[in-house]
Amino acid sequence: MSAALANQPPLRARADGISIRDVQMVYRRGVQTTTALAGCNLEIPAGSWVSLIGASGCGKSTLLRILSDIVQPTSGQALLGGLTPTEARAERRFALVSQHAVMLPWRKVLANVELGLEVARVPKAERRRRAEEAIEMVGLRGFERAYPSELSGGMRQRAAIARALTLKPAYLLMDEPFGALDELLRDRLNFELLRILEETKATLLLVTHSISEAIILSDKVVVMSPRPGRITQEIDIDFGHNRSPAIRDDPRFGRLESELRHALGHSMGDEHH
Amino acid sequence: MSRAWRIGGPTGVLLSLLALWALVTGLGWVDPLVLPSPVAVFGVFWNQPWLMATNAGITATEAIIGLILGNACGLLLAIIFVSSASGRRAVLPLAMAAQAVPIVAVTPALIIGFGDGMEPKILVATFLVFFPMLVNGMRGLRSADAEVGELMHSLDASAWQRLWMVRLPAALPFIFTALKFSACSSFVAAIVAEWVAANKGLGYLIVFAGSQYRSDEVWAAVLIGTLSSMILVGLVVLLERRVMPWANDPTEGLT
Repeated sequence: MSAALANQPPLRARADGISIRDVQMVYRRGVQTTTALAGCNLEIPAGSWVSLIGASGCGKSTLLRILSDIVQPTSGQALLGGLTPTEARAERRFALVSQHAVMLPWRKVLANVELGLEVARVPKAERRRRAEEAIEMVGLRGFERAYPSELSGGMRQRAAIARALTLKPAYLLMDEPFGALDELLRDRLNFELLRILEETKATLLLVTHSISEAIILSDKVVVMSPRPGRITQEIDIDFGHNRSPAIRDDPRFGRLESELRHALGHSMGDEHH
Repeated sequence: MSRAWRIGGPTGVLLSLLALWALVTGLGWVDPLVLPSPVAVFGVFWNQPWLMATNAGITATEAIIGLILGNACGLLLAIIFVSSASGRRAVLPLAMAAQAVPIVAVTPALIIGFGDGMEPKILVATFLVFFPMLVNGMRGLRSADAEVGELMHSLDASAWQRLWMVRLPAALPFIFTALKFSACSSFVAAIVAEWVAANKGLGYLIVFAGSQYRSDEVWAAVLIGTLSSMILVGLVVLLERRVMPWANDPTEGLT
């Protein structure tokens, strides 16, 4: 980041949502350069839900990894509530949930859910209380003393979400959290996640492959396309919050599905996947 | 596999071997100087229980102290090596070279330096078990998934927290592999070191009794040495089950 950018307080103070400005990500391997992200701009208001969707290599995961401070962009700026990803991470403002419900196999569910609080040095009693609250919220009551290896994939993902919730993150960054689950379970967890989002008022940025998941879980779907990775279209989903599974029967749902399918087909060019 | 077979099977094999041993020696097929009858060997325990117990105790003490020291050093160095690239580059080649030293051949020099007490034997045992722990420990400490690393990063965990919460628990299966291996080899190391110069211990007993053709005592010493190191391995396995309750069957990787 250049010093000039860092010295622009108005830019940083403005939004308490997620703000992505001219973010570029170029990988250099020898003489070859790959542009993973070319000048991306995106504003996500606080409390709203946004999905990134697109073919592999479109940079949607890279964007999420930039926001979660795993990688640094080549240029441009990503802000969460006016903080850089590094600052936001230090203040534990966001939580990351990845596709493979990462669990520490030697910890029981309760201890796995407590992990973030333990790292943050929250006192034991408080830790226990908040972990139990989160476990209740994701519907894992009764499995606190189980080891992750004793859980199904869906239950592990619930535990991973519970761990993310314990820190009461303002921003929930999810990278295909239900990608490894079957269709029915994914559907159920989608609506459970909606209920949790209503309860916690968190801002959601979700990377997904599924068109219906993107519609169910978003106020806005951002379509990205590869080579170079960029944002090609933003489609508003005007179902409002407090959604029920009935929205899938809404005629608008079908229209959005086909609109998104076209946008995705377009963004992939003539390639077949 | 039923519980009865798990206990009965090995017991049956053991009893058959004992019967074979009694048969072979009873029929005079083997020179009793090479292999005395089981009655003669077990007679040693009956007639001189203190001789066997005290010498086995000495060897076990050397082996266990060596085991603890060597593994502690190995694990500590493994932690330093995976945490600091410069430390690894500076010391790892030396540690590899140390492994190539035929330590048994150095034992006479150690005995000149430290006398014929327990110290040189402990040192040999320490030296022999150190390297397997270093290598296994380094692999184990690095064995956690990259995704776990990213999770800890996103939680803003410190290097200590990562070591304590992720790296060490992830390394436990590797650490116990090294421990099980070294529980046996530390006994071998102590006994071999005792051969060179000692006035007590199982190695001393084997050499001394052997020079007087008392092969019943030699075999009794071998038996009690085997038994002691098996007990030590068994204790390590028990410890493993206690420390790693999430792993289903720790005996699967016994070797």
